[in-house]
Amino acid sequence: MTLLLPIAYQTVLTVAAVLTVLAVVAYILKMRRRRFEVPFSTLWHRVLREKETTSLWKQLRRLLSLLLQLVILALLIVAVLDPQLGSADRDARNVVVIVDASASMKTVDEGPDGQTPRIEVARQRAHELLDAMAGGDAAMIMRMDGQTTPLSRMGSDIPMLHKVVDSIVASDTPADLRRALSAAADALRERKNPTVVLIGDGAYPFEVLDSVVWSRVPTGAEAGPDPAGTSASGRDGIDQKRLADIDLSGIDVRYLPVGKKGDNVGIVAFNARRYLTDKTNYSVFIELQNFGEETAQRRLVVYSGNNPIDVKTVTLQPGQRLRSIYPDLSGGQENRLRAELQPVAVPDSPPGSSEDPLPGRSGDSSGDSVRDRPDVFALDDEAFALLPARKKQKVLLVTNDNLYLEGAMLVYDSIHIDKLLPAEYEERISSGDLATYDAVFFDSYTPEKIPPTPSTHLAYFDPRGEHSPFAIRRTVEAPRITEIDEAHPVMRWVVMSDVNFDRSSVFDVDRTSGEIALARYVRAPIIAAKRDGQRKIAAFGFNLAGTDLTLRVAFPLLLVNTLDWFAGDDADLITTYQTGHRLRVPMDGTYGISEVEVVTPVGRKTRAPVTDGQARFYGNWIGVHRLVARDRGQVVAVVELAANLANPEESQVAPVDDLALGGRTLARPEGFAIARRQALWAYLAIVCLLLLAIEWVTYNRRITV
Amino acid sequence: MAVATKKVRAEQTPGDDRSGLFDDQFLKKLEYLHVVSRKIFTGNLRAERRTRKVGSGIEFADHRRYSWGDDFRYIDWNVYGRIDKLLLRLFEEEEDLHIYILLDCSRSMLIGNPLKLHYAMQIGAALGYVGLANLDRVALVPFSDRLRGRLPPARGKNRIFKVFEFLRNVEAGGQTDLAACIRKFVHENKRRGLAVLISDFYDPRGFEEGINSLRYNKFEPFVLQIYDQREVDPHLHGDLTLVDCETGEAKEVTVSKSLLDAYKREHEKYCSELSEFCTARALAYFRTHTQLPFDELVLKIFRAGGFLR
Repeated sequence: MTLLLPIAYQTVLTVAAVLTVLAVVAYILKMRRRRFEVPFSTLWHRVLREKETTSLWKQLRRLLSLLLQLVILALLIVAVLDPQLGSADRDARNVVVIVDASASMKTVDEGPDGQTPRIEVARQRAHELLDAMAGGDAAMIMRMDGQTTPLSRMGSDIPMLHKVVDSIVASDTPADLRRALSAAADALRERKNPTVVLIGDGAYPFEVLDSVVWSRVPTGAEAGPDPAGTSASGRDGIDQKRLADIDLSGIDVRYLPVGKKGDNVGIVAFNARRYLTDKTNYSVFIELQNFGEETAQRRLVVYSGNNPIDVKTVTLQPGQRLRSIYPDLSGGQENRLRAELQPVAVPDSPPGSSEDPLPGRSGDSSGDSVRDRPDVFALDDEAFALLPARKKQKVLLVTNDNLYLEGAMLVYDSIHIDKLLPAEYEERISSGDLATYDAVFFDSYTPEKIPPTPSTHLAYFDPRGEHSPFAIRRTVEAPRITEIDEAHPVMRWVVMSDVNFDRSSVFDVDRTSGEIALARYVRAPIIAAKRDGQRKIAAFGFNLAGTDLTLRVAFPLLLVNTLDWFAGDDADLITTYQTGHRLRVPMDGTYGISEVEVVTPVGRKTRAPVTDGQARFYGNWIGVHRLVARDRGQVVAVVELAANLANPEESQVAPVDDLALGGRTLARPEGFAIARRQALWAYLAIVCLLLLAIEWVTYNRRITV
Repeated sequence: MAVATKKVRAEQTPGDDRSGLFDDQFLKKLEYLHVVSRKIFTGNLRAERRTRKVGSGIEFADHRRYSWGDDFRYIDWNVYGRIDKLLLRLFEEEEDLHIYILLDCSRSMLIGNPLKLHYAMQIGAALGYVGLANLDRVALVPFSDRLRGRLPPARGKNRIFKVFEFLRNVEAGGQTDLAACIRKFVHENKRRGLAVLISDFYDPRGFEEGINSLRYNKFEPFVLQIYDQREVDPHLHGDLTLVDCETGEAKEVTVSKSLLDAYKREHEKYCSELSEFCTARALAYFRTHTQLPFDELVLKIFRAGGFLR
């Protein structure tokens, strides 16, 4: 018999001692008896005198009652210790069952008809494993996908473990075998007969498989001779290797393979970007790979929104990876792009397949090896990408005929420009008809009134006076730009190191309220930016007539960057991510906001923290995520991003029957023969109930009192 | 007499409400009992009861040998002529019968439903009424640990209201001390007669001495034992503290069925002892429970004889 001790031994002993003392004290303590008046107690005395001759027996009966209570208590304590009839303690194993729930486990190739997902078979294998556990065995269920999640504690509650296994579903993330094995090794540390059973399809990176060590890595001092001759660097290398290695020393690792087929063609990369100069056009990068062992033909369809903008048929040889760029795409009004691999139902007449611009296409697709059936892994047959928002801005210049400024604006074709003199501006602003502009540039003029629309962005050249967007600390003569915040979109690719200025105002920038100094002259902010609600404001401390910046390439670039920043069009914004990673998404305009709402592709809403202007969350699902930042209930920023599997190791769904870890091929868990195991706690509880019934009857019949 | 009539209950025990004990209905029943008693006791002399005292009556009782000094007029000369011996004729002496109703009003009589005391009072009043109606002299003597007043002997049924009034005001309570009370009773009452002893006889000191005191002092004891059904078969169970209502003595017991059976046997044994004691001494003895209507009990007494002659 084995005691599984689900509760700490000391705790059980303490509880048992306390309950025993309570039971004995309850027997010692006399209960307050009900008083009853009798007319002639002499008769009762005579009766009791006769009864008292058997007082010893009476005491024994009371003692018997106490003993009965203590026996019940002892049985309950033993039941709590969860005794099991089964194998001896020395044979008991501590098993961590790692169930692969990564994206590849969504492959549908199992079952007699090949229509059963691998994850379902993996669950079934886990159930069989649990049913085959012997009496003293304890198991922990661990789910492995991009994250490793222990789903139970180490225990022998088989029904509970079965429920845990039933709850496992595959995610859209790649498997992180390193983390799973490390977590299993940690869970099994200091336990007897540690065993790990990995149930999966073997689609794991080779470097992880090779990083497993089966004996302890020696410490740096014991590392032996340094082959490089530099002992310090050699020791560092060994230390790094020790950190990277997965130490499975002393652990019996078994492997239960799942999966039958490996013919898969998947999209391993999909990205899109707008051209900097022509934002109406964009280019798309796509990469396909055939992971099967036979030539595959697919129809690749690229959608903008729900409209197909390109359809072509591709043929890939076994193992072939096909990279392609779609230049100068301009169709569609949506900023959501979707690529989809479809089976070629009719090989010779797919729509739009007459021309195949992709290199490596197979024009002679009539061979027997070309198949037209869908592959078993559908998750990588679809990929998503987002284009940065494209918008034609309406810009107002308030200037006294500055040709440099007006000329530089001409290079940007995504804007519509109007021009006003400062006097006209003051007249128009009073009448309130300047509310339709997206941006207003003030050249050497600082107005008292600004357009009332909160989304109208403002740029100031040489602001002065009390209405300057930034307080002017002082004025410097002949400054030079010494520091630039290159990370800010306004200053991207702008070189101003040799630009000359006759004079410039120095702004008072308050970083605590979100104001940013974009360019400095020896720590003195000359160019600054800030947000005021939805309104973005940029201020340049110099006069355009007193600088040679207007003659440099940097000047139109500066204006374009400023207008792009106003429009929220960040050319560097990465909108396509990989699942299974913790995503860091820049949230423009989320100053002072601590969290954003994330709407996942499956429609579920979660919260993600925002630190340093970046929202961080774990990408679990393929598709378009929507991040919404709110400030006091008002939406201040919305960012969309696409998440794709984009993982060739995960798309390699060919099952591995013999998995090798650290050069050792893992065996099947054949040692888990079905054993008869019997939990005794239920029977003990029944015995307790019977004893309680006996005690109740004997007490009420005054046999044991 | 003045002392007895002034006796007033000091404290009314809860449940001891005697206001409805002797109502018109009760009086009708008494009249009925009186009529029935006359039917049962036919041929007796009106308004007379004979004692066993041999004296100068007119009804022959016995012979005895003549001794010197006896009145010659009572020598039976016919017997002398037949057997040549001088025998004297004896006659039963006729006198008024005194009926003393000794009523136990101890604390134990205040138990039961109805209270044993109430039941005993109704029995006492009924017997007293029959006695009064038969022109006997009826006296009431309540007792517990001492004599608690006295209604002096009276005759005539119109005195029954005095009896009611007296019974209503009898003070109840205290322990039972039968022997001491009867000793005092016989010392205070020189005229012998019928002593109707109505009690539950729950006296820790025993009942023998009290009854014997009556016998030894030429009283004719008439023993009437009253009990409540719940005393015989108490519905008790579990852990209890039994408190004697008279002594206050407490005893912790765990009442089981076997203990209850033993108690019932002990109670029956106690009653049997009293019954055997009376039977062995040719004393009239009746035992009744309070659920039996009092008039039925009285009729039963009449039919059995002993109270009426």
